[in-house]
Amino acid sequence: MAIFNTRDRTIECRIVYYGPGRGGKTTNLEYIHRAFRKQTIGEMVSINTTGDRTLFFDFLPMGLGKIRGCEVKVQLYTVPGQIRYGSTRKLVLKGVDGVVFVADSLEVRRKENMLSLKDLQQNLAEQNKNIFKIPLVYQYNKRDLAEEGVPIMPVEVMERDLNSKLKIPSLPASAVNGKGVGATLKECLKLTLHHLQEELKWAVQDGL
Amino acid sequence: MSKKEYIKSLVKEAELYRTQSLLTESKKKYLQALQFIQKTQLFSNKEKIVGAIKNKIRILEKDQARITEDKVTPKLSKDVQGLIKRLFSFSNNKEAVRVEGAVALAKFGQHERALKEFHSLLNEGTFPLVSAKNIIRCHMSLKSPDAAINEFGHWVSGDLLSIRQLENIRVFLQTLLEKQGHEAKLPEVVEAPSQIPKTEKKQDDVIDICAVKLKLEDGPQKGNIAEFDVNFQSGNVITVIVSAQQKELVDTLTIGIQLPDMEFYSPIAIFRGSGIVFGKTQIKSGPKKGDYVLDIRVDSA
Ligand SMILES: Nc1nc2c(ncn2[C@@H]2O[C@H](COP(=O)(O)OP(=O)(O)OP(=O)(O)O)[C@@H](O)[C@H]2O)c(=O)[nH]1
Ligand SMILES: [Mg+2]
Repeated sequence: MAIFNTRDRTIECRIVYYGPGRGGKTTNLEYIHRAFRKQTIGEMVSINTTGDRTLFFDFLPMGLGKIRGCEVKVQLYTVPGQIRYGSTRKLVLKGVDGVVFVADSLEVRRKENMLSLKDLQQNLAEQNKNIFKIPLVYQYNKRDLAEEGVPIMPVEVMERDLNSKLKIPSLPASAVNGKGVGATLKECLKLTLHHLQEELKWAVQDGL
Repeated sequence: MSKKEYIKSLVKEAELYRTQSLLTESKKKYLQALQFIQKTQLFSNKEKIVGAIKNKIRILEKDQARITEDKVTPKLSKDVQGLIKRLFSFSNNKEAVRVEGAVALAKFGQHERALKEFHSLLNEGTFPLVSAKNIIRCHMSLKSPDAAINEFGHWVSGDLLSIRQLENIRVFLQTLLEKQGHEAKLPEVVEAPSQIPKTEKKQDDVIDICAVKLKLEDGPQKGNIAEFDVNFQSGNVITVIVSAQQKELVDTLTIGIQLPDMEFYSPIAIFRGSGIVFGKTQIKSGPKKGDYVLDIRVDSA
């Protein structure tokens, strides 16, 4: 839940990278950490298990500067994608303002994408949030693997699987080389800040 | 594609999944390659390839086992523990923030640090019941039921907790012990007439209620059930907003009215109890103008 401080005109919001295990959530944050040095306002914290899988979360704090007269800070998180860390995912998702769903384009991960989306919907519902209303964007990651000769899903298939009802923005990406990472984050930020502006009426209070 | 090429492509795919740490998927592909080779006749150096693939599968299985067996929770640095406390507490209320921070530490497996936090909360009389139960929970998670039993013994002879709270904790601890297969005789909680617990006044035992349901005992809607999301909570006082359109409901819920049949929904559990309406104001401006803010004190839950 965004913290809006009218006195010093700051707003702090949470964006969570969600998605199946090994889909590339951590890779996204690592790239952001490297490529957006100017906007990162603290160290990236990662808590991993054996084999570099996320155990608890990754955390990266960013500062976007002044937007509509308000200092905007964003906390980026990733959840652990492995099924067995369900309770940790719930904890990290608490108070979320916007979500990037990192879907794996590999055909062998098709079912996992759908299961993870269902899991997201349930965990949001538990905090009285509606997946149709929360700022949410898809990233169809690992597009580069098409060149390696392994079967990846065409974007249309992923759209049909994941986006036929939600109809949210979706972006292709290849997080290992940073392609699409910035664009995904920007799209999610745009939706999230717009949503917060409506909710907190901060645009109206421009003069504050 | 020739048979050889087909096998090569399967192996290549398997290798790629392995580099992505998709071990199950990788193993599946290797098995597929293996089956294909074994079915196929006329194959030079068949044995050698089969051997190599079997070896790959063995390594994968080892890695898989290592990952599923990896159950140890790392002990995080003090800084990261501090960060967890800060990042995973959301309340507006200073004391509730501390409880949430400590709960987060426990949930992230930092039980020793959480114990420290809960002890200081309990000693100050902040959310005593919640703090005490979490202390028990931490001890049990640390696999030291004896420490939990000892601690309970201290509480029984001390004055940090009321009789009612001690009884509550006793049942809680007993259940946890039984679940883990321990048989222990816990000290009885006996009423000591002179005992006035320090913390009885600060009845902040209710934690994090997200929604409430209540049965109306009076008025034109008698017998009906009303449900509200909780907008704010401070200790055992919760605040809900009732729309001005629910006029009858607003009129029924007068200050001082008892609500003997309530259900409280928290992220952890649903519990029943009673409450009393002790504040009611109409919102004068903003998008909810005209609606009513009701303060309900949770008396027992
Ligand atoms: N080829 C390719 N590999 C990727 C891409 N993104 C991530 N990977 C690889 O996929 C594997 C998993 O990436 P992570 O970022 O750790 O995945 P995660 O979603 O954080 O996984 P969990 O923490 O287990 O939930 C790593 O080996 C990455 O190098 C991509 O765009 N292309
Ligand atoms: Mg990760």
